[in-house]
Amino acid sequence: MTGFAQGLLDALLRDAHLITPQLFLITVATLMLWPGDLFFNRAEKHKWAPITMVILAITAYLVVKSVDGEGFSRMYSLDGLTRGFQLLCILGSAGAVLLSVKLLDSLKQQTVEYYALILFSLAGMLFLCGATDLISVYFSIELMAICIYILVAYLRERATSVEAGMKYFLLGAFSSGILVYGISLLFGAAGGTTTNLADLNRALALAPTTSNFLVYSGVLMVLVGMAFKVAAVPFHMWAPDAYEGAPTPITAFMATAPKAAAMAAFLRVFGVGFHGVTSDWVLPLTYIAGASMILGNVAAVRQESMKRLLAYSSIAHVGYMLLGVLSGDPRAGAQAVWLYMLIYIVMNTGAFAVVIYLQGKGEGERIEDFKGLGRKHPVLAFAMMVFLLSLAGIPPLVGFFGKFYLFKLAIEQGYVTLTTIALLTSAVSAYYYLGVVKEMYFKQPEGEAAPMGAAAVFIVSVACALVLVGTAFGPWLLDWAMKI
Amino acid sequence: MFTANTTLMLVATFLPVLGGLVLLFVPKEQRRVFEVGSLLLMIVSLLLSLPFWFGYDRASDAVQWAGSWTWIPALGVRFSVGMDGISLLLWLLTTFIGPIAAACSFSSILERHKEYYIWLLVLQTAMLGVFITQDMFLFYLFWEVMLVPMYFLIGIWGGPQKLYAAIKLFLYTLAGSVLMLVAILAIYFLQHKTTGSYDFSLASFQAMAPIIAQQSKNYQHLMALAFFVGFAIKVPMFPFHTWLPDAHVQAPTAGSVILAAILLKMGTYGFVRFLLPILPTATKELMPWFIALALIGIVYGALVAMIQKDMKKLVAYSSVSHLGLCMLGLFALNPYGIKGGLFQMINHGISTSGLFLAVGIVYERRHTRMIADFGGLSKSMPVYATIFMIMTMSSIGLPLLNGFIGEGVILMGSFQAFPWAALVATLGIILGAAYMLWMFQRVMFGPITAVNEKMDDLNLREVLYFAPLVIAAFWIGLYPKPLMDVMDAPVHKLVEQVSPGFHAAEALAAKQAVAAKLGMQGMTAPAHHEAAPGHEAAPAGHGHEAAPAAHEGHEHHEAPAHGGGN
Repeated sequence: MTGFAQGLLDALLRDAHLITPQLFLITVATLMLWPGDLFFNRAEKHKWAPITMVILAITAYLVVKSVDGEGFSRMYSLDGLTRGFQLLCILGSAGAVLLSVKLLDSLKQQTVEYYALILFSLAGMLFLCGATDLISVYFSIELMAICIYILVAYLRERATSVEAGMKYFLLGAFSSGILVYGISLLFGAAGGTTTNLADLNRALALAPTTSNFLVYSGVLMVLVGMAFKVAAVPFHMWAPDAYEGAPTPITAFMATAPKAAAMAAFLRVFGVGFHGVTSDWVLPLTYIAGASMILGNVAAVRQESMKRLLAYSSIAHVGYMLLGVLSGDPRAGAQAVWLYMLIYIVMNTGAFAVVIYLQGKGEGERIEDFKGLGRKHPVLAFAMMVFLLSLAGIPPLVGFFGKFYLFKLAIEQGYVTLTTIALLTSAVSAYYYLGVVKEMYFKQPEGEAAPMGAAAVFIVSVACALVLVGTAFGPWLLDWAMKI
Repeated sequence: MFTANTTLMLVATFLPVLGGLVLLFVPKEQRRVFEVGSLLLMIVSLLLSLPFWFGYDRASDAVQWAGSWTWIPALGVRFSVGMDGISLLLWLLTTFIGPIAAACSFSSILERHKEYYIWLLVLQTAMLGVFITQDMFLFYLFWEVMLVPMYFLIGIWGGPQKLYAAIKLFLYTLAGSVLMLVAILAIYFLQHKTTGSYDFSLASFQAMAPIIAQQSKNYQHLMALAFFVGFAIKVPMFPFHTWLPDAHVQAPTAGSVILAAILLKMGTYGFVRFLLPILPTATKELMPWFIALALIGIVYGALVAMIQKDMKKLVAYSSVSHLGLCMLGLFALNPYGIKGGLFQMINHGISTSGLFLAVGIVYERRHTRMIADFGGLSKSMPVYATIFMIMTMSSIGLPLLNGFIGEGVILMGSFQAFPWAALVATLGIILGAAYMLWMFQRVMFGPITAVNEKMDDLNLREVLYFAPLVIAAFWIGLYPKPLMDVMDAPVHKLVEQVSPGFHAAEALAAKQAVAAKLGMQGMTAPAHHEAAPGHEAAPAGHGHEAAPAAHEGHEHHEAPAHGGGN
């Protein structure tokens, strides 16, 4: 018995270096809750934001410096894909933290728990990016999601926020159930020996034909569970409500960091684990991707709330990214998705920064609040226009480059019809993005201009500059993507 | 004197946008700075572009002043530029229209000057960029970028229905061009499959033509249709034209001028540069449909123009008809047709911008464009009436003016290819004369009302921006040769790309015709009648070996006569 415990401890210690960033995050976040919380009184809680930023910077450094390897009984693997998507998660979280400062100040809702939850959730994402076993995928998803359920319902005096959190929690729990049921079916079908993705791939290929149905339902259920997590149609129903009800920085957070982690898991589970049983999931995933593009973009047209519009648009963007998962060459698919996700995080965070800035003055929720922004805040409006056009994929903005690279891959892999749908629906998306541009530039403003906060100015200008000139730096972007 | 080179070409192209960046830092109250600044930038860009007209090597069909820099090696994307005669003409048309568009805005744009002139400058660079790029990726970039400034020009400074018109223009064109993007990517991968390299250069795409021709019919037709729809929306060809009247009517004067003179030419340019050389086989197979749409456009555009009450809408629909004629010429796929089509693109750019400017002038003075509100303007505005008349005549193709040459050459070309279509096109030209002259009569002659009597004639600025158009219309009408010369070599190459062996066959046919004529003379001439069979055989055999150079016809002319003597 002691031998087993000793062996376990040795193994853990041996592999601990693989998860240094996660260990660091969890330790620091725990210390933040206690005794850290005692350091600052109620009025000084906003100081946690810069501290969190420093922690995120250190985490990013640890991720960059990490060394490839595999460990924990091959449940976790650290490679280019892990590292790349981990950096995306950190980037998305950093954006959300920066955005939170002003909004939470104005709502007088600064607490240490808010930042600690973001860090815990980030730890879950970092695990998820490297998870190479269905079980580790599952528990990483839960660690990530449970923190976000709380964050969505963070503004507990506000009924919409609580409702959003509740809805998200119920559907999230439900989808986790489906996911774990699918996992158990696959475990059985593969002979009850393994849930490791690479082993599973081999075992499923050898599974007797009598268990075909078992494999099929297992794969399908995992697909449904994962589709819930990334909010792909028809499993997207929670997203618009959760996005609308959540505090806006958390909306920006949900649209970026957890999605990056979930896409990483999607790529690994389907690209590695189910690579041998492609025929079971390609067709359903094709329909899910196509439906996400169509419904996401068409439903966004009718929205009057800015957050709902961005929610539906993020559904559509997930549809595009699923094209990368469909790729027959998993590595090329991962590269394209990573590039798209990186660009998406930059432009989406930028757009949310503008929304949050307006929200600070009790505006920004509705699209009509953008009326005449071009006269009131020329710089802000220009940046918003750049973000929106980039989201629509208009060249030469960097959003076009991401789309171009992804769609290029999809056509190479033979998904011509689906890519045509993607491109045509992105033309539809131009309609609603331009609807906001129209409010900003073609309508007369009401009210007077007000100065902007420093953090928002920083995010907006940095993101805007990146989006504007990103395509010119295409070679560097591709070099980074090739490291995946 | 400058010598033309690649750097100068890039400077002329990017000068407007760089100047626009500088203007960004001028406070927005400085209205004059924006007006004069943008006009000066456009003029400097025009002056920089002029050396290219003189420096162009008319004997060569190669891409001249070519420059190419590595951009995204992993994708085979290069920043490569250069022009042949076809690009050069349209590029020069763009730099030529630029100052006019800026100058005509001084009085028509009454608010938000800063944004307006900056957008105008951005648009100018984007349009110039389309014509110089030699890389498909770069082309697509410029092609799409154009939409954004145009959207703002119409959406902010347009008429009452501007929001609808702006978004319609944007979405329509975007939908068309994304289809084109799919086709571009599909060919890109086909190329990778066959040659093993990733390359977006235009030359490599054009070199794909024979390989594409070996693909399945379905593939070829889908590719051709994707390109066709993308370009047909821009031209616009019937039935994709519905955005045009809205956009034209709602746009400010400069917007209409740029739309008519250059943006529509992007579509026709696309056909010449991409669809025809890359997908010749499929294009020829689908040709009956394309011709039918062009013809419907010609007649339908003319008929709808006839019943318009709004002058601007009338000119807009006349564009549909005229561009249909351009397309008919291009689709003839012979040198005359293509040259005529290109030529008419330039003419349309000159005459229709003139007409839009003319409509803009009365609109600024009266705030109405309804034909019924005017009458007898030739009494109160004689100079205006004269210029309007010259532009009308240029538009309907009166001899001595530019339109005549273009229409004539198109009809020659299309008659060679499909006589019945040329017949229908003639109907469109007649209708064109009818609606234009009818409008001219209703606006300029007849009883004059008190309001119209008080209208001011053109001021100096207005005369100055009309002057280049009038001069160009006469110059092209009287001496079209320089323009034709520039097109000669590239059109020769294009025809050879589309129909390999066309020139050789034509030269052969010409020789046979000459031979037949001489043979007939030989038979009628009693002195040579016993040698007649030898006459017919000798030139035919000679024609097979002969290179298809025109001057050889003369030598040939003597050969049978000589043989006949023996």
